[in-house]
Amino acid sequence: MAELLEIKDLTKKKWDFKAKWSRRTRQNFWIGVLFLAPWFIGFILFTFYPLAASFVYSFSEYHSRKPLIWVGLENYQTMFTDKLFWTSLWNTLYMVIFAVPITLLTSFLCAVLLNLKVTGQSIYRVIYFLPSIVPTVASTLLWLWILNPQAGVMNTLLGHLGINGPNWLSDPTWSKPSLILLGMWGMGSTIVIYLSGLQDVPVSLLEAAELDGANWWQRLRYITIPMVSPITLFNLITGMIFMFQYFAQAYIFRGTQGLGSPLNSTLFYSVYLFQTGFQYLKIGYASAMAWVLFIIILVCTILMLKVSDRFTYYAG
Amino acid sequence: MKNNLFKVLTLIVLTSMLLTGCGGQPAAAPAPKELNVWITWGDNPQQLQELFDKYGKVNNIKVIVTAPVEDDKVLPALTGSEPPDILILGGGDLVKSYAKEGLVVELSDAIKTGGIDLSDIFDAPLSQCKDGDKILCLPWGTDIYALYWNKDLFEAAGLDPNTPPETLEQMAEYADKLTKVGGDGKLEQIGFIPDQAWGHTDLYSHMFGGFWYNNDGTQVTANSQPMIDALTWQQQFFKKYGFDNVLAFSTGFGDQYMSPDYPFYTGKLAMMVDGEWQTGPNFIAKFKPELNYGVAPLPPPANHPESANSGMVAGTVAVIPANAQNQDASAKLLAWMMSPEIVAEEMCFNANLPTSKKAAQDKCFTDNPKFKIFVDLMGSPGSSYVVTTPISLEFNDAYSLAEEKILHTGADPKTELDQLQNDFAPKLEEALK
Repeated sequence: MAELLEIKDLTKKKWDFKAKWSRRTRQNFWIGVLFLAPWFIGFILFTFYPLAASFVYSFSEYHSRKPLIWVGLENYQTMFTDKLFWTSLWNTLYMVIFAVPITLLTSFLCAVLLNLKVTGQSIYRVIYFLPSIVPTVASTLLWLWILNPQAGVMNTLLGHLGINGPNWLSDPTWSKPSLILLGMWGMGSTIVIYLSGLQDVPVSLLEAAELDGANWWQRLRYITIPMVSPITLFNLITGMIFMFQYFAQAYIFRGTQGLGSPLNSTLFYSVYLFQTGFQYLKIGYASAMAWVLFIIILVCTILMLKVSDRFTYYAG
Repeated sequence: MKNNLFKVLTLIVLTSMLLTGCGGQPAAAPAPKELNVWITWGDNPQQLQELFDKYGKVNNIKVIVTAPVEDDKVLPALTGSEPPDILILGGGDLVKSYAKEGLVVELSDAIKTGGIDLSDIFDAPLSQCKDGDKILCLPWGTDIYALYWNKDLFEAAGLDPNTPPETLEQMAEYADKLTKVGGDGKLEQIGFIPDQAWGHTDLYSHMFGGFWYNNDGTQVTANSQPMIDALTWQQQFFKKYGFDNVLAFSTGFGDQYMSPDYPFYTGKLAMMVDGEWQTGPNFIAKFKPELNYGVAPLPPPANHPESANSGMVAGTVAVIPANAQNQDASAKLLAWMMSPEIVAEEMCFNANLPTSKKAAQDKCFTDNPKFKIFVDLMGSPGSSYVVTTPISLEFNDAYSLAEEKILHTGADPKTELDQLQNDFAPKLEEALK
């Protein structure tokens, strides 16, 4: 306990290295440093160094066994004329624009329903959460089967309704919606975060509104939605970042086809980045692309945080 | 007491640093007596390990086979500090780009050191490893494609079950007769899908007398007449019954290549272009042993009779990484791998074509008359090989996109190929500088 207090004291002190520390304080300091070291060394080696290196490489032509060739801003300029770069950016924006809000809305609605006091509530919750435990690779492969145009469950069901199901996997119009569908199936964690937010909505407010004659919709619209708005913002930003970096599902979803198929409709930013760097061996260009993606995500996040002031309500 | 606590903590932290690999490099260990072989394919890693164990036994060295290695792991290994001693790739597509980056060695020295007899290797597969006078890889096994047809379906359609089509044009007519459309407009059986499972434009364009590069890989010839002809010929199989209709039929079977549900086995696909392994023990014999089928070289188009009895070779190649620790040891292991007995044993097991002329004499390859067709095709003077360049991978992806547009959406072959030509002619020029 005494040691704890001493460490606490240390944090209050100004960082004056000349100040004389007692032997014990010095010892505590180094113990602290030692505890930090594994993380810090790991961070320097595996996060900071690659980050810095990719920044340097982005201004060069990188050949692993030859010295770097400086090309200045050429890699960044190439992006403007690279058709595939724009295709991949558009595909990614499509996912951000459509997948994020759709997933957000449906997971909120699911959470509201799962929050209703009905018999078997916990069973429903488990059922909705289960898909998110399934590993990405497994669930993606599963959906390849569900969406198989010949023998898939989806088109068989649609067939019973008299609808001639589309070629989910091989039609460029349907490939991205298929991926959105696949993503919605695994939105359990978003639902859970919303559920916890819903539990925090003060019952007193809801009761007061009910006494004032507010109906179900009004209570949802004027109390629940504003009260969970910080959660919405959190889900929105993490969802957006996830979609900008969308990779694994698209990588697996192509089945036996090439990356990005059909017709490059699933060539997302990260997929193209991977292809450029690790298949075409243009590490410099891929590094530049990575930094552009970083800037895009940064700008979008800042914008969203700025705009969020208008619709986010922080209680307390 | 305090001091002890300090020591214990230091110990814990240092141990955790070691465990997380942050403690810096351990002292350099003496060179271990082992060789690493990486193979980017391999349905049966155990068999591959047993094969290389033979080398280990004779030479008193441990050979560790890793198969299948994910493609993504190859590049870090070639650029890192722990490369394999030999790398075996599924195809030659990447070899020239690796060579351009200085990641693999030119093999002349290794061939001398190991005493590899180049004259024993069939010309077509060896050519895919050559860059001018340089030899960048050695072909271990190889593949070639031919026409398979279902004799029962031929008979049912009123065709002679023992006579395959004689020209590509006739093949299209046969395909028409072999296609059945149901009452709802959906396909029930189809004569031929030119890109079922994967595309074969290399073979089709070869039949029309060309390829997407010139012979020495110095020029892109994507919009040459043979390429346009090859894609126009393929497109008709989709056009006739509706692009979406054929595509739905075809993708429905996409993932069932190695399964009894493959459409050629179930009689839903009457003709297919496929490789020699289908005649071996692991495909038709395993999934549909009673299938009554025939094999023949793909017929040539009527205006290119000289292409008869030929094919397009591509397949497994071995390279030595430039950063491999002991180049002599790699060379010796490569020489052993390339010896006729070992080539025969491995390729016999997988029902792939042996690249060694001596190995090809083995009963395993000559006893099965259907397999023999492929061996003969490989040795045929008309057969060619898939030309590669340092931009092969990037070109292949762009080409696949163009092919997809042409075959699956009905885009005009000439327009798409012109575009491809314009995009890639300068890229190749740049890459070859």
